[in-house]
Amino acid sequence: MDFPQNMSMEEAFALAEAEARLNAALQESKVRFDKAEMPNRLNEDWRFGRPHVYAREWAARFKDGENCFEYVGFDNSDEHITRLTADDEDLRQTEMLMPTIGSDALLALHLKRFGDGHVLYIEEDTKEPICLGYGTRWAASPSTFIMVAPGVKAEVAITYACLEIGYIFATCNIQVAEGAELKVRVNTWGDGADGRCMLITNIQNMGGKVAHLTEYQGLRWVREETVAEIYAPGSETKLFSANKLGENAVLDQHTKQIHHAGGATSDLLYKNVLDGNATATFAGNIYVAPGAHNTDAYQSNRNLMLSEDATVNSLPGLEILADKVRCSHGSASGPMDEEQLFYLLSRGIPTYEAHQLIADGFLNEAIEKFKG
Amino acid sequence: MDETPFQMDTRGAFSMPENHKYDAGYGLTEETIDYICDAKGEPDWLRQFRKDALKKFNEMPMPYHWAPEGIRNVDFENFRYYLSHGATPSRSWDEVPEDMKRTFERLGVPEQERAFLAGVDAQYDSETAYTNMREELQKQGVIFVNSTEGLKEYEHIFRPWFGKVIPVGDNKFSALNHAAFSGGSFIYVPKGVKLAQPLQAYFRINSESMGQFERTLIIADEGAELMYMEGCTAPQYDSATLHSGVVELVALKGAKIQYVTVQNWSTNVYNLVIQRGLAMEDAEIRWIDCNLGSGLTMKYPAVVLQGRRARGEVVSISLAHSGQLQDTGARMIHAAPETTSNIVAKSISIGEGRASYRGEVKVLKGMKGCKNNTECDALLINPISRTDTYPAITVNGNASAVQHEASVSQVDEEMLFYLQQRGLTRAQAMSLAVNGFINDLVKEFPMEYSVELRRLIDLEMEDSIG
Repeated sequence: MDFPQNMSMEEAFALAEAEARLNAALQESKVRFDKAEMPNRLNEDWRFGRPHVYAREWAARFKDGENCFEYVGFDNSDEHITRLTADDEDLRQTEMLMPTIGSDALLALHLKRFGDGHVLYIEEDTKEPICLGYGTRWAASPSTFIMVAPGVKAEVAITYACLEIGYIFATCNIQVAEGAELKVRVNTWGDGADGRCMLITNIQNMGGKVAHLTEYQGLRWVREETVAEIYAPGSETKLFSANKLGENAVLDQHTKQIHHAGGATSDLLYKNVLDGNATATFAGNIYVAPGAHNTDAYQSNRNLMLSEDATVNSLPGLEILADKVRCSHGSASGPMDEEQLFYLLSRGIPTYEAHQLIADGFLNEAIEKFKG
Repeated sequence: MDETPFQMDTRGAFSMPENHKYDAGYGLTEETIDYICDAKGEPDWLRQFRKDALKKFNEMPMPYHWAPEGIRNVDFENFRYYLSHGATPSRSWDEVPEDMKRTFERLGVPEQERAFLAGVDAQYDSETAYTNMREELQKQGVIFVNSTEGLKEYEHIFRPWFGKVIPVGDNKFSALNHAAFSGGSFIYVPKGVKLAQPLQAYFRINSESMGQFERTLIIADEGAELMYMEGCTAPQYDSATLHSGVVELVALKGAKIQYVTVQNWSTNVYNLVIQRGLAMEDAEIRWIDCNLGSGLTMKYPAVVLQGRRARGEVVSISLAHSGQLQDTGARMIHAAPETTSNIVAKSISIGEGRASYRGEVKVLKGMKGCKNNTECDALLINPISRTDTYPAITVNGNASAVQHEASVSQVDEEMLFYLQQRGLTRAQAMSLAVNGFINDLVKEFPMEYSVELRRLIDLEMEDSIG
């Protein structure tokens, strides 16, 4: 390899070592993709996820790696944004190293179509949120990269619009440096036909504050795989989700909060309101690595059931390998509170509106916490 | 043996020389099954049943996709599937063969029987060595025999429920047990009979590489009540030992069954047990489960709430030391309306020990007014200890309420400091704290067991803090 001039011996060694480590990781990733099997019923990360239906249909839509489908990307032309190109090797490698939760084989399909998307290098505070979005009527596989420099405050909003039978297969890499603050708000939009979305997100927190909120609506199927990796003490990672699911909607959410370093905080609150025959699956995991002492990690999944045909699967998991950890998780699913409903009805609010009010209030907790 | 308090834990750590009349050898094949059937004098239907189960066992995959890593080391070829002195248990201690009698005397079984039990079943390797029950219970029509005798003498009651709660094809280990089962208890409590004192079974593995596959079926007829307790020990050998029992409980309308397990196998034992109860209308099943020993335990007592207003409960304590993985939990299947269930699990991880909670709660479609509450608490003693929680909760419909809470904590340093300042050693302070952590659950155990539990925990703390 070539070393830049004026480099000290130590710096050269460090650079060489970093390069070696990256190569090893890429090699490992290659093995991972080679070995990856299409999700099947023995894949525990697809438990309750009906992989024989959804993963199969997904792979069928995205198997043609080279084809370009009708696809629209839009943004508010903020100065921080550049369009991703297919020849950006560094970012392709970043995507190769992304962890998934049970969908390595699908990520391999996404990598074959690498090249659409946006890159955000945010080096100074943003005054208003940077907005970007992706829309399709058939198939799109955008990648978004968000990198926030030390001490910078930023807000990003991403919209995925799946019209008619549009499928969006999105990846999102978020890196937050020390002292930086980032809020990412993700929402989906659909016209109620057969729009589907799969989102693989990787958050790497190097000592900043991150809040991430997802709001899914209008789609028939959404699978979310979010892995938040915490690398520095003092960092704060918050994951929120607030979803209203109607007839036929299937939501399959998987999260991991990985504490590599001690002394950090992570918090998760995922809330759903389910109507019709909607199904929501939440499988979360908090992993506290050996030595990551003094970790505070929380995880909570709450579901409000409005109909007798709705189904909730909740799998909140913990794996603690360190000491002095404060960690808890909770999951609760139940019907609407009769007393709240009675209160609203007694004030002359019709039943339908009362239901909506209570449902909105229920979800609002997550949104308010995200806003801080 | 000296009677110092800290001898309690090591009571089971001895072995008697092997002296078997029947030995089916290593591995499980059709010949092994023929051997077992001949030795036990079983009817042809059972022979065929076992062989069908063996076929299923061979076809079924191991649950590698979710089970803990340690299960990959289980090698079915290296176990001995049937070892016994003969299939007929003795009714009095005097008739029990000398070495077995000495074993159970050292474990304190006869004293306990005299002291507070209504009946005892003592299993030594594959067969029951001794069964006895108080006379007045026999007069009331209570049946308490081993499973071989149950199938022979009471086929009309046993067979209709045999393999109904846990079918052959439920999982690989269920098929294994159906193929190789021997020993275990069959209990029938007639309508309205309420047992004031508990029945007890004691399971002892004495021989090396032994596979113990006991089979227990307990039927509580309408309005009946009973408590059943089992205890387990084995000597420490270099080779692995397998304990893969199946326990089926049937609580008919309004019946109550409490099943207490205190498992203290040595760490060379794989403890892979299936326990499931069927609760009919207004019935109640409680599993009180305490796992202290074995290298790998996978055990998830279940209740299928089949009748309206049925109630299920699992109270679980597990303690994992270095080299131990306690993968324990509970399952609750709400298959009828207005059913309620409660799970309270507490685990303690010491040294490099790993304690996991794995649970499943399911409210089936159309079941209204079901309630479940789950609480899991884990205590980590050392910085290298590990704990996991893997619950799975499925709720169908808007007429049920389910909640789950879990927390992980350490022993408060300030509390230890306070106690040490008042003259306790660090180990004493720690064991006081740990006893406090599980105190509300220990109260659920019968008195004799809770005393022993506390002493065991004292001993474990002594070892780990030093």
